[in-house]
Amino acid sequence: MKKPKNKKKKKRRRSFALPPERKQKRKHVWLKVLPDDLWLKVRRGKTILEALQKTDVELEGDCGGLGQCGKCKVKILSAIGPPSTEAQELLDADELKAGVRLACRTKIKKEFTIYVGEPETEDTYYQILKTGRRPLFYLDPLLEKQLVNLPSDAHNGGLADLERIRLAMGPNYDDLTAPLNCLRSLPNMLAKTQFHGAAVLHGKSLIAWQPREEGGRRYGLVFDLGTSTLVGKLISLLDGNEVAAISRLNSQSKYGSNVISRLQYVKENSEGLQRLNELLIKDLNRITKRLLYVGGLQPEDIFIGVAAGNTTMQHLLLSLDPRGIAQAPFNPVSTDGMIVKAGDVGLEVHPEALLYVMPTRSGYIGGDLISAVLASGAAEQDDLMILGMDLGTNGEIFLGNRKRLLTCSAAAGPALEGAKISQGMIARSGAVEGVSSGNGDFSCRVISNIKPKGICGSGLVDLAAVLLHTGIVDHEGLIQPDLENANDIPGSRVIERSGIYDFLVAGPDESFDGRPIYLTQQDIRELQLAKGAVAAGIRTLMDEMGIGVDGIDRVYLAGALGNYVHPLSAMRIGLIPSVKPDIVQSLGNAASTGASMVLLSKAYWQKANELAHSIEHIELSTHLDFNEYFVESLNFPEENLW
Amino acid sequence: MSEFSSLTEAVIKGDIQTAVAETQSALDAGSNVQDILDKGLIAAMDEVGEKFSTGQMFVPQMLRSAKTMQECMKLIKALFQEGQLSAKGKVVIGTVRQDLHDIGKNLVAMMMEGAGFSITDLGVDVSPKDFTQKAQEVGADIVAMSALLSTTMPAMRETIEALQEAGIRDKVKVMIGGAPVTENFASEIKADSYAPDAGSAVIAAKKLLGIT
Repeated sequence: MKKPKNKKKKKRRRSFALPPERKQKRKHVWLKVLPDDLWLKVRRGKTILEALQKTDVELEGDCGGLGQCGKCKVKILSAIGPPSTEAQELLDADELKAGVRLACRTKIKKEFTIYVGEPETEDTYYQILKTGRRPLFYLDPLLEKQLVNLPSDAHNGGLADLERIRLAMGPNYDDLTAPLNCLRSLPNMLAKTQFHGAAVLHGKSLIAWQPREEGGRRYGLVFDLGTSTLVGKLISLLDGNEVAAISRLNSQSKYGSNVISRLQYVKENSEGLQRLNELLIKDLNRITKRLLYVGGLQPEDIFIGVAAGNTTMQHLLLSLDPRGIAQAPFNPVSTDGMIVKAGDVGLEVHPEALLYVMPTRSGYIGGDLISAVLASGAAEQDDLMILGMDLGTNGEIFLGNRKRLLTCSAAAGPALEGAKISQGMIARSGAVEGVSSGNGDFSCRVISNIKPKGICGSGLVDLAAVLLHTGIVDHEGLIQPDLENANDIPGSRVIERSGIYDFLVAGPDESFDGRPIYLTQQDIRELQLAKGAVAAGIRTLMDEMGIGVDGIDRVYLAGALGNYVHPLSAMRIGLIPSVKPDIVQSLGNAASTGASMVLLSKAYWQKANELAHSIEHIELSTHLDFNEYFVESLNFPEENLW
Repeated sequence: MSEFSSLTEAVIKGDIQTAVAETQSALDAGSNVQDILDKGLIAAMDEVGEKFSTGQMFVPQMLRSAKTMQECMKLIKALFQEGQLSAKGKVVIGTVRQDLHDIGKNLVAMMMEGAGFSITDLGVDVSPKDFTQKAQEVGADIVAMSALLSTTMPAMRETIEALQEAGIRDKVKVMIGGAPVTENFASEIKADSYAPDAGSAVIAAKKLLGIT
């Protein structure tokens, strides 16, 4: 027997990670391009024009980037320094003031958001979180490619093609199998590659035979299936880097903003499930198309993907009937992690490509939470006690470490996403995302730096914290009418409306459309309900674990709100326990981070499946103390922290 | 606003000590027990309900007021003859089938009790059959249902149908409430009344039974 040509190679183990700290300057920075919401990873110092050249974004221009024609205009939405001398000459003062710059003269030195397109259309920028930090781990992706050199045809003694590949690949691959489609094209591909090709391997399955040159093209997709937003990432399996990330609003949103309304739609319409599934697949295919374009890839280049979402979204992805999740006792069809053919799901990638769908724990503890646990590293942690949460309509909370992990889902309601707040909105252009006060000044931080249109979740939390701090809102949540000037916030901002008092966030002259923006007394009540549910959920888990606040070593906030909310504000309103601020960290988009960890490491897939079984789910609606805790958590903390 | 204004105020504030002391001194001064109840305690809870509806008071404060009222009731309850402390009406209340939310429902129950109704609380996940049976058993004037999920709202319709089948639909008034429930939905399923919060629920219940 001939010695197999390919030496048994020890799996290459390279450790890598996204640099979690911002201390040293990263070589690459993100360029966000609106209105398409395209995210490009570009080398620091490149010009915007250079960055856009490899995309399908088209800019005007005659001079080839010399800074002479003044046509490659882009609008910079991020804060930016003074314009280049060329821009000063070629652009008029109004344009410069509005942040318009020349793409060829503007170097990208930090994360930038730019707007490309007709300036008269209203630029709406959705603040959707795509990036996330992840722990250090070994690279062992779900999909591998191996160069294989088959001995020439003449000496094979009548051996089957697949058998010859097995022999060539060595004893580890004695049990190599291949799906029918791969076998059908195998003779052709072997001939075309002259028997020296790249075997595309999913475990012990040969899913394709490619020319050798393709051996280095190893990419995978990751999808975060959010109820309101979808995020897709193209990830290099060679080094684990994110090549591109794209997000879009979930088209299902027109059938309701939350999981329950989607379930309701499926319940009431015989074709509801099919409809929602189709919308989702269409969205994912659009995202995929853009990602492939940015990466310079074809659909056939993608053999692997991982999807993570809440249990309902994952059911909708797989066209599984989710109606059981809608009502007690909240039964999903399956909680298993699934490996399905991407083509069967409807994704436009290689016909043999596989899609991993994350395991879930229960109807309301989904693959997104399992992903967040992975991203937090809590399950590998022996000593530290980790509290993590992803705050949306359902506040998903976990607490523990390797020894024991508890989780629960607290019905926070939509207030933290800006809904059910009288002038609330989701985090997009014009949303107040934070406030500051002091020195006689009260000012709002607004997404895209325009005049405010409404208040989003992080803005609501910040606003409430400032009002509590200044005493305008008391710890019971009542807006106080009779303060003259509370710590520099003019008392004139407290406005009476039929016997109750509201807080004026932006007057007619300060707001985007000339209509005043109020934070009403009822808005504060909604916030109290939301934060009460989350705080009571945390307290229930802490009880179950037998620890107090000082037993918590790390607090990880995942998701958009978790990333943008000020930790001190979250503590001031009692949304999270009062811990040392430096142990509170944002996890970023933890669902996609966890999913990409699975994509890049088989061990994490296994871990995810183990977690889905080992993690303990505390059902709050039947928990004896929860209601009492909830009521107790409705008030705001009395003492000021700052 | 009568001789009981400081009692009323104490109940609204949820100041148990003062309220109990005020009740005792009113009794000592020989005030009519029914007046203490109606003009003192129930009047206070009416105001609490109103303040809750507008957002001036919130759940913890309302609960504290209800607790205060209960403490005061302990003092005067004993002074009523058997049957003399007549309930304003009998209410059977619960969260509908397959729905486990009960905080809102509990608040409504508490406020109605504070307003003088006699309450039978069936808890959560209450089937149409259980609602009907209990209503028959206690001879309810009102059946009050809560649902916090849009997916469990249809159970309200089923309960109304069950009341119909049992032949007692014309004997009871049906009230519904809960976050996803609307006035429209109430008229759609032919409920008699919809209340957006605990304070309004009391007002609505009184209206249904013609109590002023």
